[in-house]
Amino acid sequence: MSSDTPGKLFFKNAVITALFLLLATAVAYLFFRISNNTTNVVILYLLATVLTAKETDGYLPGIAASVVSVLLINLVFTYPYMSLNFTLDGYPFTFLGMLVISAITSTLTAHLKEQNKILQKRDKLLMEAEKEKMRANLLRAVSHDLRTPLTSIIGASSSYLENTGSLNEADKRRLIQAIDDDANWLLHMVENLLSVTRISDQTAGVKTTLEPLEEVVPAAVSRFHKRLPQAQVQVQIPDEFVMVPMDATLIEQVLINLLENAVYHSGSSQPIELQAEVTETDAVFHVRDFGTGIDPQRLGGLFDGDTYSPGESSDSHKGMGIGLSICKTIITAHHGTIWAQNHSDGAEFIFTLPLGEQIYESETDSHSY
Amino acid sequence: MNRKLTAILIEDEVNISSLIATILTGESYKVLTAHTGKEGLSLITSQCPDIILLDLGLPDMDGLQIIRKVREFSRIPILVISARTQEEEKVQALDCGADDYITKPFGTSELLARIRTALRHSQRSSASESVYRCGQLTIDFEKRLITRGGEEIHLTQIEYKLVSLLARQAGKVLTYDYLMRQIWGPYSDDNNQILRVNMAHIRRKLEKNPAEPEYIFTEIGVGYRMKEET
Repeated sequence: MSSDTPGKLFFKNAVITALFLLLATAVAYLFFRISNNTTNVVILYLLATVLTAKETDGYLPGIAASVVSVLLINLVFTYPYMSLNFTLDGYPFTFLGMLVISAITSTLTAHLKEQNKILQKRDKLLMEAEKEKMRANLLRAVSHDLRTPLTSIIGASSSYLENTGSLNEADKRRLIQAIDDDANWLLHMVENLLSVTRISDQTAGVKTTLEPLEEVVPAAVSRFHKRLPQAQVQVQIPDEFVMVPMDATLIEQVLINLLENAVYHSGSSQPIELQAEVTETDAVFHVRDFGTGIDPQRLGGLFDGDTYSPGESSDSHKGMGIGLSICKTIITAHHGTIWAQNHSDGAEFIFTLPLGEQIYESETDSHSY
Repeated sequence: MNRKLTAILIEDEVNISSLIATILTGESYKVLTAHTGKEGLSLITSQCPDIILLDLGLPDMDGLQIIRKVREFSRIPILVISARTQEEEKVQALDCGADDYITKPFGTSELLARIRTALRHSQRSSASESVYRCGQLTIDFEKRLITRGGEEIHLTQIEYKLVSLLARQAGKVLTYDYLMRQIWGPYSDDNNQILRVNMAHIRRKLEKNPAEPEYIFTEIGVGYRMKEET
């Protein structure tokens, strides 16, 4: 539990034990004065002993409490008052019984506590293992996705530098264009990685604020257009005004990743559909392309950063690797879900964000001020 | 332009600094570069530039401090250069008195456009024009009349105030905080939902398709920017 020193722990246990016993004594004394019934007094001390065992660490306090209880009952509440007498008829048995009951309860509670501790420890280990796995997946995807464009940039620039004399203008332009493309891609990757640093390490959560759906979606689309001006997107958002709790920068990143993914992997130039809708509990986003779809075998592991099918040459650097695994990390941190599926004409990526407690639901009529 | 405009560039990364300097010199600006905040401040006080380009992450001092110091004695437009993920920093810079920001990495045309916008706003000052025109949208500030494609658009009092505020500083991003203070007063709530709701109403009235806005854009986490006049 806590990292108390043994001395401090002993002190704490002693104080708790004394407190319960004192309380029991006070109440029992009152009771005894009013009703003169020893049975109630015994029950009160029993209660105090059980509570002591529950609230302290180790076996000792519980047993100590039971011994003190027995002595106190004998001393204060049985004839002759204010003196110990172990020769009373039947009383030794009562005392023994109480001692045993207290001992057993304190043993049980102590045992239970220990088990709880073990369980908690195991949970923590499991969570850490999960985090470690996520990190490893991400690293694997990162090293792959970053190395390929870098290789291509270095290749292009060095061949430009070494062969300046023999290259014609068109070749030079092609090389520079390749460098430009890959540098942009790298930047995109780095932005993706940076966005993950916004997710808190401790809680694996994000700081959300209420953001209007109708602002976030168009903002993402316009940033996407800046990068890929030729790609077409059809946007559909609900008519009513909806605020969704989110880290808008991160959700923007997810939308951009999914849109780019659709451009690079659909194998089609048909407009991409981006649709947002609201159910009772969630905001649901769909990104649909009208291309070749996704190999059903890969659907499962798509978001694990492990998306390279054996047939695919490993230099097809616009891999879905980091992008999708970051999407998953972001959506999970928002307590939402993300998945991919095929529809009749292509692939569809869907993610949900829980709405939480809605404050402004649909206040779209004009007010006068 | 009969005289060269002077720009002071405060940026600690040499590569980026020389890149921007090359671009601006090519557009016939006179560019002075500083690599530290101190150097930059002394350049500003001695040269009185037309515009300041400022990177917030400087080795010797906080960029925000430079903005505050400059604002103590001058209205020289300041264009902040920042990285994308730090929107809080952008907001702080704008609220300190920076005129606009540009996000790294930027294209040449974007940089030049932002500089032109900032310069225009500083020159126009209070004697601003009485009409805003952009695409099909016209705002007549004197008559308080907004039309799109000749058709009048009816806005409530607050909606009109918001739109005219954005339009008078078109091309420039206005932060949530600034808008809240301008419309609802200095003691307005920290919560900007009322602003968001009003912007939603405006969007529905002004834009043909609120999902693909043409006139008022959202800068995520920062504020709103109205399209420049065309």
